[in-house]
Parts: sequence; C-alpha cells; structure tokens
Amino acid sequence: MIRRHPYLFNTLLLLGALLFSIALGAVWIPPQTILRILAGQLPFVHLLADWSTAHEAIILSLRLPHTLLVALTGAALASSGAAYQGLFRNPLADPYLIGVASGAGLGAVLMMTLNGISGQLGLYLIPIGAFTGAILTVLLVYNLARVNGMVPLTTLILAGVAVGAFASALTSTLMLGTDLQIHRAITFLLGGSPIAGWQPVLAVLPYMLVGMGLLTFSGHILNVLQFGEEEAQQMGLDIRRAKIFVIIVASLTTAVAVAFSGVIGFVGLIVPHILRILWGADYKRLLPLSMLAGGSLLLFSDMLARILIAPSTLPVGIVTALAGAPFFLWILRRAKREVFW
Amino acid sequence: MLEVSTLSASYGKRRILHEISFAVEAGEILALIGPNGAGKTTLIRAASGTLPIEAGQVRVRGRNVTKLGIAERARNLAVVPQAQQLGGAYSVEEAVMMGRTAYMGWLGREGARDREIVAWALAQTQLSDYAQQQIGALSGGEQQRVLLARALAQKTPVLLLDEPTNHLDLQYQTRLLALVQKLAREEKLAVVMALHDLNLVSLAADKVALLVDGKLEALGTSQEVLTAEKISAAYRTPVDVVPHPISGVPIIFPGSVD
Repeated sequence: MIRRHPYLFNTLLLLGALLFSIALGAVWIPPQTILRILAGQLPFVHLLADWSTAHEAIILSLRLPHTLLVALTGAALASSGAAYQGLFRNPLADPYLIGVASGAGLGAVLMMTLNGISGQLGLYLIPIGAFTGAILTVLLVYNLARVNGMVPLTTLILAGVAVGAFASALTSTLMLGTDLQIHRAITFLLGGSPIAGWQPVLAVLPYMLVGMGLLTFSGHILNVLQFGEEEAQQMGLDIRRAKIFVIIVASLTTAVAVAFSGVIGFVGLIVPHILRILWGADYKRLLPLSMLAGGSLLLFSDMLARILIAPSTLPVGIVTALAGAPFFLWILRRAKREVFW
Repeated sequence: MLEVSTLSASYGKRRILHEISFAVEAGEILALIGPNGAGKTTLIRAASGTLPIEAGQVRVRGRNVTKLGIAERARNLAVVPQAQQLGGAYSVEEAVMMGRTAYMGWLGREGARDREIVAWALAQTQLSDYAQQQIGALSGGEQQRVLLARALAQKTPVLLLDEPTNHLDLQYQTRLLALVQKLAREEKLAVVMALHDLNLVSLAADKVALLVDGKLEALGTSQEVLTAEKISAAYRTPVDVVPHPISGVPIIFPGSVD
C-alpha cells in the first residue's frame, strides 16, 4: 500500500506533521480547532467563531508561520541534498557534509552584520548573501574533491568538512565580533531560526518556489548523469549546462533554507536515502518526494526540539545531528559492503 | 554513411591520433583493431565528440557532425560504451529510455513515439521480458545488451561500439556480434566496433582498420589486414594465420609455431 502510492503517503504524512506541529506548544490546541480556525480565514467561509481569540492569535501569528518555515526548510534541504547526490553521483552528499550549508551560513551572517538583521532591506538581502556563499563553497569543494573527473566519497567529504569548518569558524568570528547577541549567533550556527513571525516566511517564499520548482524539473538530467558525464553527453545531454544548472538551483535552495533557519545538517542525507530504499532512485520521483518527506522529517525534529527541554527550545540542528550522525555512520558501514549505484 | 577524414586528436600535448581516414557504408561493419594504447577508444571518443578534435572531419550522411550541437550529434552518432558494471538503480526500460535524451529536451518528457522506439530497441536486443528488471541485477551479457538497446533508442544512422565483448564469455560474445551484424544489415546502420579478439574480427567485420600508435597502418577486408606479417608487426609478437577450414576466414594463433 505504502510502496504503491508514494505521493499519497508522503502528502498525508506531511499534512499530519503540519497539523501536529501547529497543535503542539505551551498550550495544546486540538487539531479540529486548528482546522476550524484556518478554514475561517478562507474567503467565503463563514464559521461560528467558537474558539478563543488567544488561540487564534497564537496560531496565526506564531505557530502557523513557524510551522511553514520549518516545512519549507526541510523540503529545501532534502531536495537539494538529493540533487547534490545526483550531481556528485555520490549518495553521501548532503548540503551540510559538503560544506555548502556552512558557506551559505557565512554569506548570510556577512549580510546580517553588514546591514543589521532588523532592517527590512537587510532581511531580503540575507538570501542573496547565503546564495553567493553557497555557490562559492560548492565550486571550491567540487574542484578540491575532483580526481580525474570523478568525485570520490573520501575527498568529497574531507574537502566538504574542511571548507565547512573554515566557513563556520569565520561565521563565529563575525558573529561574536559584532553586536549580534551570542545567544542568537549560537542558535543560528546550531540550526535554529533567528526570527519569528511571518517576515522570514515571506522572505524565503519566492526563492523557495523558484528553487524547488526548478529542482522538480531536474530529474531527467540527474538520471542521465548517473551513467557518467561522457556517456551522458553521448546520449545528447549538454553536461556543462546541466551541471551548472543543477549547482545553481540546488545552491539557491540550500542557501535560502540556511538564511532563515540556520545550519541544519543531515536532512538532505537521511530523507533521500530512505526514499531510495522505498521507492527507487529515479530522480524524477525522488526530488518531489524529497520535498514532501523533508518537510515532514524536519517538522518532527522541530517538535522534538520544542519538547525535549521544554519550556525552552533546542536548536533543531541539534536534533537532526543527534539522529543524523549515527544514521550517516550506518550508511557508511553499508556502503562498505555493497555498491548502491 | 560515415566518413572520417584526416582526423587528429590529442590528450593535452600528446597527440594520440594522426590523420585517420576511412569510410563506412550503411549496413557495413568496420572493426577497429590494434594493440593497447593504439588509439581505438580515443578514435571513438573523438568521433562522438567527447574528446575535442584537432583537425579533420567526421561526416554522417555528408554532414560534418563535429560542428553540430551535442543533442544533434547524439541523433547522428550513438556510442555503446565498454562493458561495465552498471548501477542497480534503474529498470531496463528506464535506462533504454535515457537513450531518447537527445529527442526529449530538458524535462525528459517521453512521448508515444519515444515509448514506441524503446519497445522496438528492447525487442531488437531480446530484452522485452526484462523491461521492468533492475539493471544491476542482470548478467554482464544482458547489461551489454541494455547499453546496445540504449544506443539503438538514439535512432542514429551510425553506431560506435567500444570493445563491446569485453568481460563476456564465449556464448555472449558471439551472440552480441551476431546481433550487431543483424542490426547492421536490417537497419542499414554503419557500424564501427573496436575489438580485441582478432578471431571475432574475422568472424564479424566487413572491413578492418588496423591502428598502431595512433596511425592507420592498414585498411581493408579481414583477408587483407589480418595477415601474419601485418599482425606480427603491429602487436610486436609472432602470430600464425591460417584460413578457417570451412568458411575460409583468417584465424590468428598467437606465438609462431615454426
């Protein structure tokens, strides 16, 4: 049943995660109340407002935007992870492990320190800084890791970790050296949203729609690339253009996620990996499924982050690392025994 | 159908191919032979456009394909790469469908005609029953047929094969060559095939091109090229050549017995 209906299953899972994430918090708001409140917001729907205005305010101005930002971030990280894996022909490429997320973080923080995080203009410039940081990092890591036209696992991860650590160190220096509060800086580096409310959602939305929209269309290119660059070209794919296209789109998607949600690792690794086991490696299917499942996974991680040390909140990046790092080691062990493509 | 004229190509500063010229007619198989490092694979890469050429031309139906864009070139020349371990991720049908890339555009949206041609390519290579199987689970001989089917799906008048019988056992070697012969005759394909096993060459090829150190040493029928004198000199090892007792094609024994 689950295997035969990947889209249905993942959509239902995501809807459930969204609803549960809105319900969960200092006050539990029952899902049916949430649905009625949300339905009441739709045009031409008139419901008797039998809910408390406090609940309505909590949902509409806090939990709904937070939940949407988390879901979009998860979707972006998982799908760009899948795209990097296809591009590098390496199942362990993840925006965090290959350093791109840290590079994006550096770019974002650079923009924050230059503009001040509160300024309206600054808010919209942050993704551009993150995007520039991500592109430069991916090009650097790619060229460092390349050996005879291949990108082997060891050099990719080593180059990614080294470049990522360097970028993170620069980011910390910048954050601690300027008037951004230490707490906010640490939260960002560990993967937590620095700002609440609708503003970040509206700031990421256009980039996310473009980035993930274009990623959805890269499935065929990535499939053909799996046979190697030379064969892909002999089949008629302009590999230079294809690679540049995927790098730009995946980096844009990663960068926007990092810009407002901090450096969150392992989502881009775990989600495509599980999806491949369940529904195969066809990128035409893997990319949209990664968006749905990535949203769900990060929402569940975020819920854990909110309840583990309640009433305070852990940065969600800590939760994904706690779950993701052992998962990464498990894949490594498996990779030693079998070749999966 | 295929004309290669004064083709030269290099890796970096080292020139690998020196002014190679030959022509292959529709329905004809040209075998490319020569010792390791003679430039067989380089010639196929240069002709298919994955290695930039320095001088010369590759013409398909009179058109210079080196001047064409990547997709247009893939509609004129298809390459069957060396036998290799294919990853397990795709079904046979999906892998063969990727041969339609040059016709499908970036989104890879497949039309009725693409599906029709893929079904034809699968039938030609006796893979129809395997369409839904994962390519990683297939035997070496079956995987090589998948690569051939993928090249057929490109619907090109010219087919280039790079040592397609490598790693295959005797049964699969002869079956694959018989299949290539049948396709060349029935589909009027011009075929260039790099081969190591000289006895397979005399079995399957209409013409033989002998490459040594990137130069074309001999070009002709297998009787003309597969002589003890030419092969001994090219491979720097003594060989005996005798005619097959039934068909009369040359048979090559390494190590002279006199």
